[in-house]
Amino acid sequence: MTDAAASYLLYAAGVRKTYPDGAVNALNGVTLGVREAEYVAITGPSGCGKSTLLNLLGVLDRPDGGEVFFKGEPLSTRRDLDRFRARQIGFVFQSFFLLPTLTARENVQVPMFEGPPLSARERAKKADALLDLVGMGKRAGHRPLQLSVGERQRVALARALANDPALLLADEPTGNLDSENAVRVLDLLTTLQKERRLALLVVTHSDDVAKRADRVVRMKDGQVVDDGTSRAPVPRQAASPQVSHV
Amino acid sequence: MYFVTFILKNLTRRPTRTALTVLGLSVSVGSMIALLGISENFRESMRDTFEKRGVDLVGVASGAADQLSSEVDESVVDAVRGMPEVAGVDAALVDLSEMTLREPRDESDTPPSLQVLIQAWLPENFGYSDLDVLSGRSLTPADAGQYLCMVGHKFAENNDKKVGDTIAILRHKFTIVGVFKSFNLYENGCIITNLKEYQDLSGRKRKVTGFSLRVHKTSPDPDADVEAVRQKILALRDPDGKPYRVAVERPEKYLNNSAHLRIATAMAWVVSLVALLIGVISMMNTMAMAVLERTQEIGILRAVGWPRGRVVRMVLGEAILLGVAAAVVGAVGAVVTTHLLALSPKVNGFIEGGVAPAVVAQGFAITVAIGLLGGAYPAFRAARLLPTEAIRHD
Ligand SMILES: Nc1ncnc2c1ncn2[C@@H]1O[C@H](COP(=O)(O)OP(=O)(O)O)[C@@H](O)[C@H]1O
Ligand SMILES: [Mg+2]
Repeated sequence: MTDAAASYLLYAAGVRKTYPDGAVNALNGVTLGVREAEYVAITGPSGCGKSTLLNLLGVLDRPDGGEVFFKGEPLSTRRDLDRFRARQIGFVFQSFFLLPTLTARENVQVPMFEGPPLSARERAKKADALLDLVGMGKRAGHRPLQLSVGERQRVALARALANDPALLLADEPTGNLDSENAVRVLDLLTTLQKERRLALLVVTHSDDVAKRADRVVRMKDGQVVDDGTSRAPVPRQAASPQVSHV
Repeated sequence: MYFVTFILKNLTRRPTRTALTVLGLSVSVGSMIALLGISENFRESMRDTFEKRGVDLVGVASGAADQLSSEVDESVVDAVRGMPEVAGVDAALVDLSEMTLREPRDESDTPPSLQVLIQAWLPENFGYSDLDVLSGRSLTPADAGQYLCMVGHKFAENNDKKVGDTIAILRHKFTIVGVFKSFNLYENGCIITNLKEYQDLSGRKRKVTGFSLRVHKTSPDPDADVEAVRQKILALRDPDGKPYRVAVERPEKYLNNSAHLRIATAMAWVVSLVALLIGVISMMNTMAMAVLERTQEIGILRAVGWPRGRVVRMVLGEAILLGVAAAVVGAVGAVVTTHLLALSPKVNGFIEGGVAPAVVAQGFAITVAIGLLGGAYPAFRAARLLPTEAIRHD
């Protein structure tokens, strides 16, 4: 198992999760790995445990059984999980979850307090660069309520990249967006994933996302029913033409 | 962005609540600073007066709670004056007395009366020498039996009296011969009259409430000289061979023992503690609400990698900033209040405007403590929020 874990950036080995007030097992022994710079989509019916899995992979929560490995090392024995999360993982949520009192520029800086040490000036500069990257440079001084939902998600994306994580976890990132904005955010995600060589794990209902991914994982009732590896692996070169229009 | 900027923005997002919390807390802290400040000012002024007048020892009746309720026989004062080591003795009958600003027109007329502090002094008191006579003249031994008085300038201003005017003390007419200013603020609101006349009027013949004295210091150890005189006074015996009921102390010790000052300070603390308790509760309420309504945000902060410690620092930081703001407002309010009180004719100069820096510093320290105390539980709650719970209904 550790051998398998070692070849992945992040690897969940037989993880289980039962919520205290939940009648069923939210996750019933899930094994899944994400490689460096790999784009993985997770699909499945509502309530099948996709978000729960994402939370365990992002160490927002601990599994009741099984283990999560990062670069082959078990996370259950690590003491600095907050720091690990701050520096290695970026989160993107369906409802953006920006802080309403802060401007876009300030929102992007929130994770930086726990990132590599930077001065206040450096933090602001980095935030501006990230906002430029997501095409929000001109709106840096606006607060979330002054932005459209599509713009908010792009700011959230910049925030997820604040500490240059190796892995991006996105839970239905286009779920609250109209199709036009959804395409825009997805294009952005795809570009960033390629350019920054991010491991990207996207929970989605959208076929659009699934089409762009290197691999599609299907879940049902707390289990992975198809981890996408049984099909012939899509060579990365072959995946590029799909995104070349970005 | 600095961390403190982030904390500040959390406070300014709810300007009304923040303002009300600061205001409420500043009333708590302000009243504490004002009360402790006033009692400290009083103590300081008394200490100052003893020091400026070069007083080495203070004598009052033993067991008396304060000077007003003390009664010492004048024969003790005479005996002390006769001691060769004693450089000078001040004796006074201090009384809070009923007085009227004019005489009754006829039998049925009762002019409005007020309470005023009367200092009935011996004509040879050394206290006269450091009164600054603003108008008229000082009382002299030659004035004996003529029912004359001097009034403090505060009293004169507040009651619109000047040299030549008359007032009635204990139903007897007194003529004002001088208006003075003393470095002791409390004397500025009082009336100084001749001891003998006031003793007669108040039916306390040959009695004083206390005395103070200066000692000739000849030996290399002045403290030893003073102590020798103290022991000598305590050893005095009345004609029947019984010891006088008199307590003699160094001014510092006298002030520390003073029941009035102790009660004033204790009262200030009791009222302050109640105010502070209310402050802690209101702080707790505000911060608990702030945490509750930001449950989701705090979950997000945890999700992006903030450890519990930073969430705790955020909540405590907000509480401390609220506290510091309240301390600033409260301190300014307290200083302004004491100045306004000092202006009021009612207090007759008994309250000095301004607050000692040490008291203000104490107020600041206590307010920060309120912040920490009131913020601790909400911060603990915030730290325990699970990020997954906060973002669950995504
Ligand atoms: N915090 C929680 N407490 C109790 N039950 C939960 C909690 N979170 C999720 N669940 C339950 O666990 C199962 C999986 O949920 P989730 O991972 O959110 O599914 P998905 O994201 O695929 O829709 C569901 O039955 C859901 O009701
Ligand atoms: Mg979900």
